[in-house]
Amino acid sequence: MSAVLRLVDVHRTHGEGEAAVHALRGVSFAVHSGELVAVMGPSGSGKSTLLTIAGGLDQPTSGRVEVEGSDLVTLSQAQRARMRRTSIGYVFQGFNLIPALTAVENVALPRELDGVRSRTARAEARAALEEVGIVDLADRFPDDMSGGQQQRVAIARAVVGERRLILADEPTGALDSETGEEILRLIRARCDAGAAGVLVTHEARHAAWADRVVFLRDGVVIDESGSAPVDRLLDEPAASR
Amino acid sequence: MSGRLTSWRLALRLARRDARRSWVRSGLVLVLIALPVLAVTAAATLYETHQMTGSEGVDRRLGTAAAKVYTYRHAADVAQTADPETGGASWATRRRATPPTERQVLDTLGGERRAVPIATGYLRYRTAEGMGDAQSVATDFDDPLTAGIATLSSGHWPESDDEVVVSQALLDRDPGEQLTLRGGTKLDIVGTAESTSYRDTAFVFARPGVLPTTGSSGDQAWLVAGGPVVWQQVRQLNDLGAFVVSRAVLADPPSASQLDPDMQYSDAGIDSAELTILVLIVVMVLIEVVLLAGPAFAVGARQQTRTLALIAAAGGTPRQARRVILASGVVLGAAGAVLGVVLGIAAARALQPLVQHFDVQRFGPFDVPWLPLGGVAAFGLVSALLAAVVPAFIASRQNVVAVLGGRRGDTRASRRSPLIGLVLVGVAVALAALGVRRASGMGGGGEVPIALSAVVAVLGMILLAPVAVVALARLAGRLPLPLRFAARDAARHRTRTVPAVAAVAATVAGVVALGISITSDEAENRETYTPRLAMGQASVTDYAQKADWPAYLAAAREVAPESGPTLIRGIPSGGRTYVDFRARFVGQPRSMLSSWGGELATSVVVARDPADVDALGLDAEAAGRARRALAAGQPVVFADRAVPDGPARLTVKQQAPRERRMTTLGQVQVDAVAVPVAQAYAPVQAVLPTSVARRLHAPVADVGVLVPGGLSSAQQQDLSEKVAAISSRAEVYVERGYQADSAVVIIKLILAGLGAVLMLGGTLTATFLALSDAKPDLATLAAVGARPRTRRGVAGGYALVVGLVGSVLGALIGAIPGLAITYPLTDRSGYFSGPVPDGLATHYIDIPWLMIAGVVLGLPLLTALVMAAAARSRLPMVARLQ
Ligand SMILES: Nc1ncnc2c1ncn2[C@@H]1O[C@H](COP(=O)(O)OP(=O)(O)O)[C@@H](O)[C@H]1O
Ligand SMILES: [Mg+2]
Repeated sequence: MSAVLRLVDVHRTHGEGEAAVHALRGVSFAVHSGELVAVMGPSGSGKSTLLTIAGGLDQPTSGRVEVEGSDLVTLSQAQRARMRRTSIGYVFQGFNLIPALTAVENVALPRELDGVRSRTARAEARAALEEVGIVDLADRFPDDMSGGQQQRVAIARAVVGERRLILADEPTGALDSETGEEILRLIRARCDAGAAGVLVTHEARHAAWADRVVFLRDGVVIDESGSAPVDRLLDEPAASR
Repeated sequence: MSGRLTSWRLALRLARRDARRSWVRSGLVLVLIALPVLAVTAAATLYETHQMTGSEGVDRRLGTAAAKVYTYRHAADVAQTADPETGGASWATRRRATPPTERQVLDTLGGERRAVPIATGYLRYRTAEGMGDAQSVATDFDDPLTAGIATLSSGHWPESDDEVVVSQALLDRDPGEQLTLRGGTKLDIVGTAESTSYRDTAFVFARPGVLPTTGSSGDQAWLVAGGPVVWQQVRQLNDLGAFVVSRAVLADPPSASQLDPDMQYSDAGIDSAELTILVLIVVMVLIEVVLLAGPAFAVGARQQTRTLALIAAAGGTPRQARRVILASGVVLGAAGAVLGVVLGIAAARALQPLVQHFDVQRFGPFDVPWLPLGGVAAFGLVSALLAAVVPAFIASRQNVVAVLGGRRGDTRASRRSPLIGLVLVGVAVALAALGVRRASGMGGGGEVPIALSAVVAVLGMILLAPVAVVALARLAGRLPLPLRFAARDAARHRTRTVPAVAAVAATVAGVVALGISITSDEAENRETYTPRLAMGQASVTDYAQKADWPAYLAAAREVAPESGPTLIRGIPSGGRTYVDFRARFVGQPRSMLSSWGGELATSVVVARDPADVDALGLDAEAAGRARRALAAGQPVVFADRAVPDGPARLTVKQQAPRERRMTTLGQVQVDAVAVPVAQAYAPVQAVLPTSVARRLHAPVADVGVLVPGGLSSAQQQDLSEKVAAISSRAEVYVERGYQADSAVVIIKLILAGLGAVLMLGGTLTATFLALSDAKPDLATLAAVGARPRTRRGVAGGYALVVGLVGSVLGALIGAIPGLAITYPLTDRSGYFSGPVPDGLATHYIDIPWLMIAGVVLGLPLLTALVMAAAARSRLPMVARLQ
């Protein structure tokens, strides 16, 4: 089965000279259809940078980023935007819903931006909301929803239009643990339905939902395994050096 | 006390830091505050410089003398203000009055004094083309007392009574070697000199007694040397019948109570109606500035909400939170006011030569009116403070939990304020109606309630603007994404949006109100325009009894032989012998016309040819009827209403001077034609065929020259100068139909320009602030795959929402005073003694639809396009991805 996301020797350096920060230093890994990969690591290890590069929001200093076979690095701005509308779904820690738009409008956003007729886009958005179980809140504004509900809307927005790559950056960070579990269950279900998922988290519990865990430290992948004793790696980072 | 001070100090420090950190937003506020302050400062400084106040420019009028004393031949009971020439003076005319002589004046003043006679006035002189006008000053220019009145630029001052010195402007009119005055006096030109008071003006300078004196400064005048002439002495001379311009009194004017009771009113300055309107204008400008600057403070307040919430969480009171925002008003207001005043004075200095270029009166010394400028600066500071008040209150009432929880957007709208807004608009309509009522009543003076209604309507509109913004957001569901986002976001951030919308609305209201009043005024002028001649024809008229008509005719034939000038004849009116003509249709009331006449030196034209009616400027239908009647040998009688044709009795009487009674010259009864005239205005009473005039034994003479073929502009110029050489009373007129005043066109252009600039300003502010506020949302849009140009769409959508809501609201609000003001402006009821005649409008309303459409639809669309084009197309990418 071909990879939905493939990173090849990705470097990312912020700034120049003395002040240069090497956020990523030669990261390579792939995520296949039906697979959920957790990215773990301490704060500042480059997890978010990795995800923004995978989503085409940021460009690597060097390396290749392939999504469904096309290299994001060589695409134009507009083509990358198109990829985000049609292939890549992004879920943030801060939900990032647009407060001026209702839930259903937020979900319909990528479809509408893609030029789908607004009626069709809304119908698809309702279906996506149905999937995450909050179709009854479709016409509410984000400010009138709880955090968990907002994150469900964000997930619906990430999956609407049959997008096959879901990137989630600490999606449960602002939620209580019970609500967080439900959000992860939704992402897992989506991957079981054929999508490829990348989940950034620093909680070992959450990594249990993943098929595989990628450990990052100082911008380098220090372990990539499906069965490694996650808890030990996290508890004793120094031992793995 | 010191606690409060400390708290302000903290607030001011935070404000200064904030102003420096978000310098673009601060710069925006600074410009908004400074610009009006700058404009008013520059205007006030230029005005003050232009104005000769107090003892400024006194040398130009008095030379080195202590005073100028002047008398009128028949003036008695003289009273004057400090400056009788510009400030006001009064006197009674008595044949027996004996004004003081030079000797009496000097004796009254006492001390070591001498006097030099000076005479100022106007005269006419021969130019290459005909006659020209000049001002004249006759005095002894070699006397040091007159130094400073004029400056010699070449030659020498007159040394004898047949020498003169003239100004360059007069020389440019080519008077020849000698100056030939009207009446034939020839004077040698021995030099050139310029008046120190007026530039680019024709002047003649001569020795005393050489030139005629007609002017405002007396039949006799002297410059008096010696010690200061004080107010006490001025009063003494007034009692003798003389007027005094005293250097000492101008420098130290008497208080109002020292003036003669007759004179005390004249220094009252502007009346209360003007004051009211002035205050209203200031209030409107204040509102506009506050509205424009308001959004910037609102955004500033929001960007500081975290700080404020933290202050609250740390135990700060709402008042302390409020102070932080108000302090930024103080900082930016003070900076803007000082900047505006400084730049305004600089601008006035730079503009002074340019403005002088448009005015023949020489400006005084550069003069900064510091006291009023203090007021202007205070205005800037106050407007910034007011603009910060609402955001400050809202910020201080923020829900701390919501802010720290990351929720954005304003608290819910008040339900009460829209109701107050509606009430205010209702009051405005009532005030406008009151103004309309007053305008058509006798006393007049509907302008003040209408101006008040404008301000009240704008205040009401500000309270209604949130409703309009929220309503649009409700309807936005079906709109394309950028517009929907803009409309909803605008409604969520009302503290930022509403002032901007209101600023646009206030601008549009002003433009629409002024636009309606100007076009209605113009409509009145156009509709009530009475042509003096048939379109395209020309005439020469002269009211004098002994006008030299053959000479006028010869001049016209010389200038425009192809246009076929002819003489118009009539029964001469005026003159020493009074001739009275009456026409009465049998069985009709006596009065047929409420008014007639004006242009020709007759009230009855005697037509040798039916085409002579062209000289009357009738409309086509009336002219046709008149021609047919004259061709049939019937007299034409004008009426201001429909009167059936039929037999009429015509009578001519005359009254010679010193005769007590009128004598009837002739009376006939003939079939006559009644011609109703438009606008209730008839050029003459009647047009008689020659045969009827002869039967009436009426005196018939030439009364005008008609040029049926008309005159070109060049021909008009030539003929004007030619007839001016024959008589100063002759007038050449060419009928070109109604000509819109070029000032009106310019005012309209300025209005449109001002409207566009203010609308662009309001929209730009709001959009710019909205975009910076919406950065996280734009980042989200980018993350879900929005094309980069979506940002342009959002920018354009924002501009469109603010512009459109504002302009529609403004047009509705502006129509209230705009429609009302047309009543006092174009009221016609005062023109007629009785009720307004049939078929005439009592007032005119003309709505400039094209201009309104341009302002309401065109401008917002244009600004939206400009905004979309100018916006950066790059979406912020990772602004919120941590
Ligand atoms: N825009 C940026 N400019 C400079 N340094 C950055 C920028 N974004 C991230 N970094 C740096 O890159 C490193 C990785 O950051 P990030 O990917 O956010 O880590 P994580 O999400 O694992 O906490 C950090 O040291 C961070 O300071
Ligand atoms: Mg991170």
